[in-house]
Amino acid sequence: MSETPFKLATKDLGKDYPGTVALDGVSVGFAPGEVHALIGKNGAGKSTLVKMLAGSVVPSRGQIFCDGIEVALSSPQDAFAQGIAIVYQELSLVPGLTVAENILLGRTPKKRGIIDWQATYAQAAAVLERMRVDIDVRARTGDLGVAKQQVVEIAKAMSLDPKVLMLDEPTSALARHETENLFRLVRGLAAEGVAIVYISHRLHELRQIADRVTVLRDGRHIDTVVMVETGVEQIVQMMFGEVVQRERPGDLLPGGTTVMEVQGLTCEGKFAEVDFSLYEGEVLGIAGMLGSGRTELLKALFGAEPADSGKVVLQGRSVDRPTPARMKALGLAFTPENRKEEALVQAHSIRANMCMASMGQIASGGYITRKMEQAVVDEQVAKLQIKVASTEDAVSSLSGGNQQKVVVGNWLSTRPRVMLFDEPTRGIDVQAKQQLFQVMWDLSREGIATVFVSTELEELVEVCHRILIMREGRIVDEVRPETLTADELALRCMGEN
Amino acid sequence: MWIAKAVTWGKSSIMELILFALCAILAFEADGFFSVDNLLNVLRNVSMQGIIAFGMTMVIISGEIDLSVGSAVAFAGCLTAYLTESLAATGLGLGASVALAMLGSLLTGFAVGALSGFIRVRFGVPTFITTLAWMTVLTGSAQLLTGGFPLMPFPEWYNFLGGGYLLGIPFPAIVFALVFLLTHFLMGYTTWGRSIYAVGGNAEAARLSGIDVARVKVVVMAVVACLAALAGIMQSAEIMSGAATTAKGWELDVIAAVIIGGTSLMGGEGKIRGTLIGVVFLGILVNGMTLMNISEYWQHVVRGVLILSAVLVNRANQ
Repeated sequence: MSETPFKLATKDLGKDYPGTVALDGVSVGFAPGEVHALIGKNGAGKSTLVKMLAGSVVPSRGQIFCDGIEVALSSPQDAFAQGIAIVYQELSLVPGLTVAENILLGRTPKKRGIIDWQATYAQAAAVLERMRVDIDVRARTGDLGVAKQQVVEIAKAMSLDPKVLMLDEPTSALARHETENLFRLVRGLAAEGVAIVYISHRLHELRQIADRVTVLRDGRHIDTVVMVETGVEQIVQMMFGEVVQRERPGDLLPGGTTVMEVQGLTCEGKFAEVDFSLYEGEVLGIAGMLGSGRTELLKALFGAEPADSGKVVLQGRSVDRPTPARMKALGLAFTPENRKEEALVQAHSIRANMCMASMGQIASGGYITRKMEQAVVDEQVAKLQIKVASTEDAVSSLSGGNQQKVVVGNWLSTRPRVMLFDEPTRGIDVQAKQQLFQVMWDLSREGIATVFVSTELEELVEVCHRILIMREGRIVDEVRPETLTADELALRCMGEN
Repeated sequence: MWIAKAVTWGKSSIMELILFALCAILAFEADGFFSVDNLLNVLRNVSMQGIIAFGMTMVIISGEIDLSVGSAVAFAGCLTAYLTESLAATGLGLGASVALAMLGSLLTGFAVGALSGFIRVRFGVPTFITTLAWMTVLTGSAQLLTGGFPLMPFPEWYNFLGGGYLLGIPFPAIVFALVFLLTHFLMGYTTWGRSIYAVGGNAEAARLSGIDVARVKVVVMAVVACLAALAGIMQSAEIMSGAATTAKGWELDVIAAVIIGGTSLMGGEGKIRGTLIGVVFLGILVNGMTLMNISEYWQHVVRGVLILSAVLVNRANQ
């Protein structure tokens, strides 16, 4: 490959994890001056590829070339040495330090062992100057907005003078005009000859920023295409592939009774004027991209975050001043997006976790014993087919799928009327996903309604009776899953139709 | 098979085993240790701190702390004396005055603790800070109430609450046992106890599970402060006066007993039974060393070393 103009290239790169192939046969090259987008659904292998290029994951097979010469990147230091820098999605800045200190963290110039502040500020300012951005290097980093912090993060990477700069979902926390500024910055860096690797799942951004696009699906390299010659529809097609559409069981018929009604629910800066009704036994999907306000909406429905105006009507009565405790008492159940941080006490036993929300139902008059808990826990373990050695083991010993089932089982024992699921399938295996769908359908048969939020659009199409499409904090459309495919739904979520 | 079982049991009961070993050593080494009178004496000495320690266990499991319990003991004793004196001066009978004064002290303690909890959940001020402030406020208030001299308005019978015996058992020890049973039941057999563990383990997960986190924190803070007031009343009964200088540094002994008993300062883990062991362990240690005529200076050093060792043993066991 020595004749290629690529700064960084891979040949048949692959990575195996116990039991799964995370990535296989990826051959791709990144040229100086190009913005090369990496795109794919969750679990497509984007981050595995990027981590191998950044030296933080060692490939199982295949080769990596820098300037046509094969290299082994076995640590982040190796990658730095080759001029490869990465900006991760989570900001890694120290909020209490100045911008200059963050940019030069660990490399601040010193004079006789003492930090040379003049030189520090001058060097940091020079980096920002080169990027043509105006940020005070003496400002406290924590006082800056997210967009400026993002720029500081990029400046930190640029201070190493990299030849390849990888940006992992850099716009996920940015507003529209901030995104424009970031794009200008990225294009400027590319014009200087830096190869930019841009990871995103926001399709509409690609047309604005990308020169070429590499699509990954299920760990395989589908294709690399030139953006101006390719339509968004084609890329979506490549991302989703030929989806085998599974059928929802035919005996699920939502009733006509309204169990929950949402009227004009608004939360400043998050979502606005949300109206919908939920019917008995219905599985209602909410589709939307990251940042569309779907998680915030679900939390507000459960009373976990306050709404500014509008109301939620349950059993014919408007709930004022909702809290999770009150909503639980009114028959709502909620499985949050981040089960580790928001749904489970990792150090506690499976039994304790599975009785956390439902202890009120299990106890009689506040009196509760292990025996009473055990009966309920055993029932859920059997029903949800949770694989456990002992229910006294810490819940952290379980796999993601089984942890999710613990959360679901916990709520099922509260005998809810409405279940709210936020991204329940994130990080769980295919079998556990199918079991979860089965739970939703079983609930539907008992007349219990479900609201199902997911980024995995094909799941929504498979499972739901009705799907609401959310974009920029508003419900913009309502569709029946029978009438469209997952990629059509994806286009609608992104506002391409 | 039985070896494995024994090892598991030994691991889970390591502090009990160490306590047992300590008793065995003292039985041989310290003259007069292994007598009913002496053991009852130990029980009486530990009971007032022990009562607070059970409340402190709940507080620490919920992820909070109370540094003001020592001052709260002194304050409650002085407040009870002050109120008794004032009420009796209005012409009310001495018995009724004492009873009302005790009630007033318990309620004041409850209110002070509830306020710390409220400040914690409403304004996000850590209880470490709030109760540190209470510590000096309560000490100062106790001095203000008494004017720097012990108040001695109590009737003869009042001494029973701190120094009396019921069926040959010291009265404070009976209260200690009752508080143990009550808190043990609360933490082990009620949804209330389960909520405290959940809140201390992961407050956000508890909140999203529909547990009223704010109420849990306010109530546990109120309960420990109320128990400190109860100990303060018994303390004042033992010395028959309200004195601002009593119970100095108790908060450290109380927290040490809780930690020795295996409760995690990070919250979410711990047992009332463990605290019982911790309290008795510290009491026996002090008693044994005194019987063996070990100098008080050395006692402090040994105590500190043993507290640290106990925590390391618990850590290694996890």
